[in-house]
Amino acid sequence: MTNTETARDDIGSRVRGMVDRAIQRGVKGFQYATSGPAKVGLTPKTTLYGRGTLQLYHYKPLAEELYRVPVLMVMATTNKAFVFDLLPGQSMVEFLLKRGFDVFVIDWNAPAPEERGLTLEDYTQDFIPTCIRKVQQETGEHDVSVIGYCMGGVLSLIYASTHADGPLKNLVCLTTPVDWSKMGLTTVWNDRRYFDVDQVADTLGIVPADFIRQMFEMQKPAQRLAGQLRVSEQMWNDEFVRSYRAFERWGDETLPLAGEYMRQTTKELSWGNKLFTGELVVGGRSAKLSNITVPILSVVAEHDHLAPRESTKPLLDLVGSNDKEEILLKGGHVSLIAGPNAIGRMWPRLERWLAVRST
Amino acid sequence: MANDSPPDPAATFRELVTTWERNVNSLANQVMGTESFSRLMQEAQRMQLALQQATSEAMGRRLAAMNMPTREDIIRLAEKLSDVDRRLMRIEASLDGKGNGVPASDVAPASARPRTRQPPADYLNKEKPR
Repeated sequence: MTNTETARDDIGSRVRGMVDRAIQRGVKGFQYATSGPAKVGLTPKTTLYGRGTLQLYHYKPLAEELYRVPVLMVMATTNKAFVFDLLPGQSMVEFLLKRGFDVFVIDWNAPAPEERGLTLEDYTQDFIPTCIRKVQQETGEHDVSVIGYCMGGVLSLIYASTHADGPLKNLVCLTTPVDWSKMGLTTVWNDRRYFDVDQVADTLGIVPADFIRQMFEMQKPAQRLAGQLRVSEQMWNDEFVRSYRAFERWGDETLPLAGEYMRQTTKELSWGNKLFTGELVVGGRSAKLSNITVPILSVVAEHDHLAPRESTKPLLDLVGSNDKEEILLKGGHVSLIAGPNAIGRMWPRLERWLAVRST
Repeated sequence: MANDSPPDPAATFRELVTTWERNVNSLANQVMGTESFSRLMQEAQRMQLALQQATSEAMGRRLAAMNMPTREDIIRLAEKLSDVDRRLMRIEASLDGKGNGVPASDVAPASARPRTRQPPADYLNKEKPR
């Protein structure tokens, strides 16, 4: 066969492929437009405990023999925890279960109007300790490892520093900011000269999900439209569409926040930067990060726009642990825990780190 | 052999979208990262919240005139119920064994699956706890 004939065949097959994809885009685009929300969080679980905004799940173990120390994951307060269990094959929970971990997850419901007074004390001195107690009772183990994501990581740090003699065995912080003066646009928008957080908390009581979502989306204003353009082109690709829709649902289901909690995090963490300076006191206890002496792993993303590298970097210098490690990976705030990089890089590194410390 | 195949329009489209997204985000971040934008944004928000507050107060006065509970009254009632709920939880917790978790001797029997798993040998070489 001559080069010209090969090139002609190549063009022919490519045109056929393009036509085929164009047809599939039309057919699948119609299915996309008429179908309901993506099915997410499908790994079997039971709700072990629930109270108001708090939910504690226990996932059904998938290994015959488990590591001794159970794992409790703490979700950020602004979003649903199904990002840990997005889709079969794209689920951090499922991955850890298959590798022999007993996995529990703290998820949040939208806080009800009567929960507008929730504070950092509630989250770190009541919710997390209560869930740890439930995990202990369920597993029969005293030790518990905690994995916190974003603000869930901040809450886990506050818990760990105020319960230094507690049952915490290992602590993993995923994209967890500690220096809140380096939070990029969030720091600029939270400027105390212009941002009247008292008015927001007092007027709204519960800060609506739209308010929170706008704050996130404004940081990458072209992301949503670009995503829609990409998915329209990739409509023939079932895997891509499935993943896109799951992420889209997660973004759409942003949670409202208790006004008091927002007031406190703004004043203490953002304006006072007290987690970084070591001046934070929660529930009458010092939340100095140097109180933390358990093994700690910090996993951060190179292109994280919500918890920029500069805000996450000081963590290991501030904790009192001897066994500490940071893993810096390519990717963004969300792709770090549920995107292709997570599957190929982050989860295996996390599993190895936890495995040798969970016996 | 030179690559004489025509460019893939889908790949070109994807590249265009990525470039457009990066440029728009970058430009927007420059504008929105300024002090003047922050001031304008917060000023607009302040006005919106003031309007919302005024509307809420006016509605509250009307409901009071009709001898009906306001949203605030209902929330206060719910808060009282939550408070009772919290007290019950605290009592339950103290009965369970309070403090920084349950003491090792007081935990419930382990669940059915053995908790004896050991990490693969090569993990121990790569991930030595310090």
